[in-house]
Formats: sequence, C-alpha cells, structure tokens
Amino acid sequence: MTNGLPDLLKGLSPEDASEVLALGKRLLLSSGAELFHLGQDADALHVIQRGRIRLTLPMQLRGHDEQVLVEERTPGQTVGWSALIPPYRFTLTATAPLETEVVSFSREPLLAHFAEHPAVAQTISLNLASVIGQRLQLFQTMWLREMQRTVELRYA
Amino acid sequence: MVLCMSVLGLALAAMAFGSATRPERTTPTAHVQPGAAQAAQTRFFVDPTPGRVPIEALLLEIENHVRLEQAAAESFVEFPTKAMLHSKTTSTFVN
Repeated sequence: MTNGLPDLLKGLSPEDASEVLALGKRLLLSSGAELFHLGQDADALHVIQRGRIRLTLPMQLRGHDEQVLVEERTPGQTVGWSALIPPYRFTLTATAPLETEVVSFSREPLLAHFAEHPAVAQTISLNLASVIGQRLQLFQTMWLREMQRTVELRYA
Repeated sequence: MVLCMSVLGLALAAMAFGSATRPERTTPTAHVQPGAAQAAQTRFFVDPTPGRVPIEALLLEIENHVRLEQAAAESFVEFPTKAMLHSKTTSTFVN
C-alpha cells in the first residue's frame, strides 16, 4: 500500500483507522480475477492494498461485447462504493490485471461501527463523498469533451 | 453530278480515314479492368476487409484514448478553465 492511510481513512486517528481496518478482510486476487461484476448486489467496498483494479463497462465492438476500460485504481484507492449507496448494485465490473490484494469491508459491520462511532462515520463519509465527487467531476468533463467532438463532427 | 459524286466520295474517304486512325476509346477502361480483377483476386485470397484494425488493437486504442481523456479531465478539474476543458490530446481516436 502507499505510505500513510488509504483515501477512505484519511483524517482518522491511527487508533480509529486501526479499528476500521480490523473490520476488513484481506482478499488476494490472482491476475485476471474478477472482484465484482456489473449488476451484482454490492455488499462490500474494497480498499486496494497492492496491485491494480480495472473498472470496465461492456461495449459492442463488431457485434461482440468487449470490456472497455473506464478507470484504473491503484493502491490506497477505494473501489465498490456502491456498497454504501442505494440501490447497492455495482455499475461497473472490477478485475485485477495482475495479482492484487484488497481489504474488503462488508456493509453491515461497517454501518454498525458507524452507528457506534459517529465521528469516524462522518470522516469516512466525507472521504467517500470526495471519491464519488471526483468521479463525477471527471466523467462530467469527459462527457462534455465527447459531446463537443460529436457536435463538431455532426455540424462541421 | 460528277462534282457532287466527287465531294461525296471525298467525304466518305475522309470518314473512313478518320475512323481508321481514331484512338480506341475503350482503351483506358480496358487497362483498368484487368487491374481491378487482379486486386479483387488478391483481396479474395489475402484479406477480405483491407485496413480493418484487429479487435485487440482497437481495444488498446480505446484504452489509450480513455487514459488520455481522463488525464485531460483531471487537468481541467485541477485548473478549471475553458482552455483546459477543450485541450487537445494525442489520441489517435480523435486526430
């Protein structure tokens, strides 16, 4: 993992961070293994310890579904935040392009911990909002850039 | 009468000469056709869709495009200006 705390735990004291990390379960993914699949129920979010996670969406290429890269996440980053956001379903597919280790946090134990530690819940929720907000800003920008090109092609 | 026949004969002789010495109009087409047939034959045996990018190469091109677009978007989010929003990338997809 990168030096310091993962994105999700930034701002927590070392003790609070350790307590949250103790709720997680280490998961080793071999190269090519799938962490979660588009449309699946999302019951756990994952913090990448080492390796890499590719987030993909299916795209029709010459009549076949092909997984196209949407984002790539690296150690210290969080994937699978759909586990904490209704309707708790993954909207992307996550795979490990190389041997990867993640810490998985199931929703129920995490929410129970949040209920007992509101300050920790607030910090983690803000961190999560930052992850989601960053994704939104990036994709809003990428969408507008594609729209601009489409308009230029269509009305050139 | 003799004059008329002479003029007519001259005209006919001129037409016959012209027709005999006129270059063949169909020559260029005739030259192209064997070439086209040869090309069609080559495509038939070698590649039915010349210039078609293999799917793996296409996926790599898309991936490269996504990465470049993401980097451009990240730059915009960090320094949000109109110029950054529409900055160009080297993606072969859009160039």
